[in-house]
Amino acid sequence: MEYFDIRISLGLQEVATLSNTRVITMRKKIGSALVVGAGISGIRSALDLAELGYQVQLIDRAPHLGGTLSQLDYQFPTDHCGMCKMLPLVERDSSSQYCLRKGLFHENIEIMLSTELVALEGEPGKFQATLRQKPAIVDPERCTGCGECSGVCPVEVADEFNAGLTKRKAIYLPVPHNIPNSYTVDLATCTLCGECEKICPTGAIDFRWEARKEFRILVVDDELIVRDSLKDWLTEDGFQVDAAESGPDALEKLTKQSYHLMLLDIKMPDMDGIEVLKRAKEMRPDVAVVMMTAYATVETAVEAMKIGALDYVLKPFDPDTLVPLVLKLYETVERSGEREMEVGAVVLAAGFGSYDPATGNNTYGYGEYPNVVTSIEFERLISGTGPNEGRLLRPSDGKEIGKVAWLQCVGSRDIQANADYCSSVCCMFSIKEALLAKERTDGQVDAAIFYMDMRTFGKNFQRYREKAEKEYNVRFQRSRVHSVEPEGANGNLRISYTDLDGAGREEIVDLVVLAAGQRPPAGTEPLAEMTGVELNSWGFCQLQPFSLSRTAQEGVFVGGSFSGLRDISESVIQANSASLQASRLIHSKGGGLAEATEQSPEFRDVSRELPRTMVALCTCGDTLAQAANFDGVETAVSALDSVTQVHRLERICTQEGWSQLEEALHSSEANRLLIGACLPYVYTKKLRELGKTTGLNPALMEVVDICTPAFPNRNSNPEQVSREIRTTVAMGVGKVKGMEPTPPAAIPVIQEALVVGGGIGGMSAALAIADHGFGVNLVEKEDELGGNLRALHRTLEGAPPQELLEQTVSRVEKHPNIKVYKKSEVLQSLGSAGHFLTTIEREDEGGVTLEHGVAVLATGGKEATTESYGYGQSEAILTQHQLEDKLHGDSVNPAELRVVTMIQCVDSREEPRNYCSRICCGSALKNALYLKDQNPDIDIYVLYRDIMAYGFLENYYTQARQKGIIFIQYSVDDKPRVEVENGQVTVGVTDPILGKEVTIPSDLLVLSTGIVANGQDKLAQIFEVEVDQDGFYQEAEYKWRPVDFLKEGIFTCGIAHSPRSISETIAMAEATAQRALRILTSDRLTAGAIVAEVRHSLCCLCEKCISACPYGARWRDELEEKVMVNELGCQGCGSCAAVCPNSASVLSGYRDQQMFSVIDAALEEMF
Amino acid sequence: MAKTAKIEVKEQGLVDSMQGFFRTLLEKGDINALLVPQRLPRKNAVMPTLVTDPEKINGADPLAPVFPINAAKVVSKLTRKPLHGKVAVVLRPCEIRAFVELVKLKQARTEEVVIVGLDCLGAYGNVDYLRFAGEDGNGSTQKFFQNALSGKGTAWEGIDISPACKACDHPIPENADLLIGLLGVDTNDHLLLKANTAKGEAILDNLKLPAAKESEGRKKAVDALVAARSAYRDQMFEETSEATADIEKLTSYLSECINCYNCRVACPVCYCKECVFVTDVFDHEPSQYLQWAKRKGAVKMPTDTVFYHITRLAHMSTACIGCGQCSNACPNNIPVMEIFRTIAHYTQKAFDYEAGLSLDDEPPLSVFREDEFQEVVAKMH
Repeated sequence: MEYFDIRISLGLQEVATLSNTRVITMRKKIGSALVVGAGISGIRSALDLAELGYQVQLIDRAPHLGGTLSQLDYQFPTDHCGMCKMLPLVERDSSSQYCLRKGLFHENIEIMLSTELVALEGEPGKFQATLRQKPAIVDPERCTGCGECSGVCPVEVADEFNAGLTKRKAIYLPVPHNIPNSYTVDLATCTLCGECEKICPTGAIDFRWEARKEFRILVVDDELIVRDSLKDWLTEDGFQVDAAESGPDALEKLTKQSYHLMLLDIKMPDMDGIEVLKRAKEMRPDVAVVMMTAYATVETAVEAMKIGALDYVLKPFDPDTLVPLVLKLYETVERSGEREMEVGAVVLAAGFGSYDPATGNNTYGYGEYPNVVTSIEFERLISGTGPNEGRLLRPSDGKEIGKVAWLQCVGSRDIQANADYCSSVCCMFSIKEALLAKERTDGQVDAAIFYMDMRTFGKNFQRYREKAEKEYNVRFQRSRVHSVEPEGANGNLRISYTDLDGAGREEIVDLVVLAAGQRPPAGTEPLAEMTGVELNSWGFCQLQPFSLSRTAQEGVFVGGSFSGLRDISESVIQANSASLQASRLIHSKGGGLAEATEQSPEFRDVSRELPRTMVALCTCGDTLAQAANFDGVETAVSALDSVTQVHRLERICTQEGWSQLEEALHSSEANRLLIGACLPYVYTKKLRELGKTTGLNPALMEVVDICTPAFPNRNSNPEQVSREIRTTVAMGVGKVKGMEPTPPAAIPVIQEALVVGGGIGGMSAALAIADHGFGVNLVEKEDELGGNLRALHRTLEGAPPQELLEQTVSRVEKHPNIKVYKKSEVLQSLGSAGHFLTTIEREDEGGVTLEHGVAVLATGGKEATTESYGYGQSEAILTQHQLEDKLHGDSVNPAELRVVTMIQCVDSREEPRNYCSRICCGSALKNALYLKDQNPDIDIYVLYRDIMAYGFLENYYTQARQKGIIFIQYSVDDKPRVEVENGQVTVGVTDPILGKEVTIPSDLLVLSTGIVANGQDKLAQIFEVEVDQDGFYQEAEYKWRPVDFLKEGIFTCGIAHSPRSISETIAMAEATAQRALRILTSDRLTAGAIVAEVRHSLCCLCEKCISACPYGARWRDELEEKVMVNELGCQGCGSCAAVCPNSASVLSGYRDQQMFSVIDAALEEMF
Repeated sequence: MAKTAKIEVKEQGLVDSMQGFFRTLLEKGDINALLVPQRLPRKNAVMPTLVTDPEKINGADPLAPVFPINAAKVVSKLTRKPLHGKVAVVLRPCEIRAFVELVKLKQARTEEVVIVGLDCLGAYGNVDYLRFAGEDGNGSTQKFFQNALSGKGTAWEGIDISPACKACDHPIPENADLLIGLLGVDTNDHLLLKANTAKGEAILDNLKLPAAKESEGRKKAVDALVAARSAYRDQMFEETSEATADIEKLTSYLSECINCYNCRVACPVCYCKECVFVTDVFDHEPSQYLQWAKRKGAVKMPTDTVFYHITRLAHMSTACIGCGQCSNACPNNIPVMEIFRTIAHYTQKAFDYEAGLSLDDEPPLSVFREDEFQEVVAKMH
């Protein structure tokens, strides 16, 4: 042991020496990928790939980031957001570090919104992708979000963001909380009146009327009045219009010059429109044609469209129908940008669509009764940014809501609606909404959930449900509501359902919320066809066996709900898995990960100079100059301590304005720069470049927002505006004055991984890391790899697990980068992210100490044993696992069985093991279906509480019932009773439908005992990570950092974290590999510019900072008697500095003196 | 049931019987040293003394109604690192509670300490005490207890116990390993010795003292004392809140402050090695003073006096145990204790925390509860 201790302390000294050398490195971008869909999965995948150094193109057809999540303020099971936790933790200065729901910036990600993938060609590793972006009428770099435009817009339409519960204008903010938040024009409803363009104070709106003059339209009609009126209307809208009175006339005009658009009458005397169309297309294939007809049937029009017409209009028409049509064509024909790019891999994270409850029988009256809403509508209804600012009011009359009913499985688990699947998240979603309603009304509202099975199969979900039921009195009513009808004329609704005992019941409620199920998103089929992925029978992306991210098309991967609805945690895991696979593919095609580092620019050392600040103020044209007394501002700012010069610039946001600024800085002696402009967020990248060209460290530059005080709707008093601007600038000056930038630390990284646990999770993680060229030490305590997978012989879906096992083991054992230590256990570990020293004890060969940069803990779990239901008293009582084993070993012969009973949730989902083991229902279905398949005459009874057949497993549940397997629901207060007499097993259970006891003499009784932890606490202690109350590993954050530990550099996957299936374990393993690779890809990593430090001479070691650190980035070094900071783990949040009473813990860039200057400046104008 | 025994008093009087007990404790209690307040030669000052020789215990007078410093600080010095020996420390309830806070702040350790606590009937301010004790230290202690326990009160010739003691609602050292009880006990005959912990029990067993029972009257006496003190306390909260209700009143309340920082030095839970107010953080540029003066035409010097007290409140009010040493140390008689206890009462209530109560309660800022302060965090839109 002594030997290892010495090695370890030597190793740590080495770390200390290395981390003192500070080098700034910038990684090269090698390889590129396309991510389709910018919801959370897309963002996750994009960030993953960007963090590994790939150039990422992230597109979304919506005009905003965030997908469905942008509409949700709260997410189960923690009831708050936390999306920002997805932002990079290492090399975090590459990225934005503010609320991710508001926006995202990463230097390796290019985001294109309102953009679709229109073609994908080529081969894996070298695809050609064609992207089409909708025209941008509002320049996001100029739009300050002041809202003037929307004020003058005459259009009002339903607002998608609030699920149609509020109205918006045609120029609007797609998501009210985005930053920077620029307005978007919805061309589908815009009347092009141009008022917004006129009023925009920054000139951000440009309908490009000039370009319309270049757009030539030819009107072809034999009637003069049609020709004249069209000419009038369209000329007025700025187009160049010619007219032809006949077919031949039109063709002649076409020979002389090209036209962009032809409006063509079908019925003309000399030559009919169809003929003209044919000939015109021969002459000018590019011309867009719209047919006009008074008599023609749809068939004629369709015929015309088959030979190249784009659309048709029926006569008579008025300007309101024709002009928008032409405008739209103009926009799509003229202004759509198409872009081609080469990408190595594609991640499809296209999200999901929602079932429209108004389709089908609609017995719930959705769309008919205003007080019947969907889950998403309810979410908006109760949101602070929703129509009622967070108050729970009824849509029909604004009355306070007293009673709400949630109806589950609307458009899910519904064969008639072609949805023989479970949408997986609606149960938890409804519980969350019910809790929200309770909280918003201080428990006043009556909340009831009507459900068939409450599917709380995720980690902590069961306890969440119990909290709702027991602490918040949410009612859970097991029944399927068959109809909703109005009760009287006052907006109340009557719901009718059948109770468990078969009796019909009714309830009167204020609001009905439909948990609308999932559908594939619009456009899935063409996307699938274009990219070569396959779809399953319900239209979702079909995955490859044992994978949650691989599709039928190599090089195209899928993340998130595109392959079936998932909660946030699983979406994040799956997105990690998809990006890992994409990276693996690009790597295998020679793309590789970034390894080369290039020296970043040397910045001028200004530490010995007095602060000299240059202030540049943007007047935003003359908008600001008009709104404020700018001379006064300039005088006041010039007088500030440390300010040496003040420049007034017209538009810093333009190239010209920026060059002026750059020039001014170049020719000045200033060693600090403060910019007063709008939208400070957009300057991050620009400042970095300015640093490169001027040699002034961007850490000595700051941008403050001086535009908002001048918004007309906020303030019209110039003196007040001036004062606000003076204060803002003075505060900024105070802050930059005190900046003392130190180069960010470069933390050396041992580019090797340690994986503990050689089951399918550990092996998959090891392979994924090793395939990227990094060494992996795989430690397994048994003498054989494989873990729990060794005992699995069949899967519900049919893919053979033993083949998977064999292939994986053989790949691991042959892999040149993987070293396997069998019969070995971890003894102790020291160090932090980037450099750990771990000692393992090998049974035969003694100890060895390994150096590694990251660790994956994949130590699995095991089937629980039980003392319930007579287990142990008869050979006829088995666990599911034992049954599978015996069936495989032929010691149980299905042909000899008459009655088999299975009991689910044995000792599970009640304290102390109050969690769902997730896989037992699937195992029961698998074994039951197998038995039935082998011997259709067996009577099989499954006694269950809730069948957790989530996702597409539902289909097997249906099959089981169709094959005659009997499912009897029992409650936890009235469990089945087992009697064993002379080896004969009899099971008694209360049948809820019959309302009386049923006795089942059974040849076999199979118990689903669930999964328990497997000694995680011991390893947790060694690696200084946490376990949860059930003994499984405790992740850093369930939703957003599901595979991380709080301690950076250590990750977990598989059953060791929580029960899950093979494919879910593999996906999670790939996610850990992805997280590990962020750290391994470089031999040194740069900490953030803003990190905490400890002033040891002041520190009294009270360790408050250690408990306050939300990232586990602090520890007490017992030898040195010092509190230390792991610079890689530190995210610069400042909690430690806040909790430290005497500023022994400080945050660079936010020192006390600096903050005092800022506060003084803020107070200056006030007193 | 906690184990109890008696320390016999009989004719020898309170002080002598206590000294006798401490000698026994040092001899038989399996400890290496005893920290106990001793009357120092010549002057009647009483200070904590670390004693290893039973013969050197003849000045011990832990009952003297004075404590010039809160001895928790001394115990912190003895225990912040391994002591390599076991020490029994004789403390007042407020000193024990301060010690508990210091342990949680990692400034002290419990491993090698046995806490002996005494019922506390209050103490005079340092200056007042010297007058009260006069020439006869031991006699004055006896007199104080006779008066206090017989209901005659603690006032004497215009002197009374400090406001902090009058407002103290924790007169009983419930969290001591060994408790020496006076309230509701026939102190002419004996003192009550009670073991509250296993550590205390082991020692009590070693001492082989005659058995005793906790009397029925004790609870009543304690309740009556706590009720009287709570009433005084609530009145004090009310008056102090009123006197500091806005920034003008607060400024006036603290106007005599000269930044001597005595209150901070005297405070047992102000644990920083070096206070932020003496570091570079408050080392303002000379030009800054001019700027402040310019803003309003005049600025009081020294500056940062109100800021100092507010900062100390922010840092320490969650750990304040109300011993009153801050007021005791103030050269200008600013009612520092009053404002500290008042604010502490509300901050501790806000975190559902009581300073000094138990080692198991995590200090407020070191735990994060997702559901706390919902009025602040839950209504974010």
